[in-house]
Amino acid sequence: MNPPRTYTRGMQRWWLRRPSYQFYLLREGTSVVIALYGVFLLMGMAALAVGPGAFEAWRAVLFSPLSWLLHLVVLAAFTFHAWTWFKVLPLTVPPFKTRRFPRGFSDATLNRMALWAWGVVSLVILVAALRGLQ
Amino acid sequence: MTQTRTIIIECLRFHPETDEAPYYQSYEVPFTAEMSVLEGLQYIKDHLDGTLTFRWSCRMAICGSCGCMVNNEPVLSCQTFLRDYHPSRIRVEPLAHFPILRDLTIDQTDFLAKLESVHPYLIPSADDDPGDQPRNQTPDQIQDYLGYAQCINCLLCYAACPQYGLNEAFTGPAALALLHRYNADSRDAGKAQRMDVINAEEGVWGCTLVGECSEVCPKHVDPARAINQNKIVSTQDYFLRFLKPRGRR
Repeated sequence: MNPPRTYTRGMQRWWLRRPSYQFYLLREGTSVVIALYGVFLLMGMAALAVGPGAFEAWRAVLFSPLSWLLHLVVLAAFTFHAWTWFKVLPLTVPPFKTRRFPRGFSDATLNRMALWAWGVVSLVILVAALRGLQ
Repeated sequence: MTQTRTIIIECLRFHPETDEAPYYQSYEVPFTAEMSVLEGLQYIKDHLDGTLTFRWSCRMAICGSCGCMVNNEPVLSCQTFLRDYHPSRIRVEPLAHFPILRDLTIDQTDFLAKLESVHPYLIPSADDDPGDQPRNQTPDQIQDYLGYAQCINCLLCYAACPQYGLNEAFTGPAALALLHRYNADSRDAGKAQRMDVINAEEGVWGCTLVGECSEVCPKHVDPARAINQNKIVSTQDYFLRFLKPRGRR
């Protein structure tokens, strides 16, 4: 028997179909900002390898008013990305059971633990960086 | 009190022998507060247009037949109520991302093949034969898979998953959740047979955690969790194979 003729609708502008798809794209899109910022930091290291002149030029770009503004945008993107990343983190963790917690931890607990760890690590890096600047 | 009101139901229509492409047809349907969208469709079929084609069976959200898109949302039409949409009109379409067979019915062939590929049944180990005795489990062992065992194959999760819509090869939420259901069962020893499906590009790695599958699931199966926990399983499997003797997985 021949398979019946079917009609398949396309995926044109699929992200408009549900608001959650747009939130998902925003979540994933912020990783592009993070990658671009990584490239910017790499350029700084490359400038350091080239020589003092190049590094000073890179630093001049870094401390320009436009750069301050862009850093605020990047900080917002980083925070949103990290926040949503930790939000979905519990889904990716296999339940680790202990004697005291035979069913593992709840999603909310895992999320809170991850956010605390993030906060502490960020603080340590911030303090170390500020000391380095002095 | 059963007050009768009228709602406009807009159905997607497609006849494979006469229509080049689908189109919408509107029906004015009288309804009472307790009527589901499915009952609205049945009213159309009984009183207005006998050619409207759709699947249904149990009318109580357990057979998984009546899934469709209502206003772009994948739902079971038997547990979606017309009163919640009145006085706006509603648009009923076949489940997204699947080929349309006719009107609101979709072709499930692709899903059924994928379901078969995950070996969705207990595969006990050969040296673990309890004979006539029951194979006991602790409540904790049951909890490990019970949630995933609630799947009714209604395919709402596939209709909510843009990754499946964009790439039909993706094994998809329900099949992978059922795969996890059997792997997580203490009576099962078939994990090795299912590893190829997990590890494949179109297996768990086809998922980017949009997360909508778990949102729309009428049985709260949480396929997103099942899939993403198996990304860790797949990663471990990838690295551990270097430590194992050759010829063994």
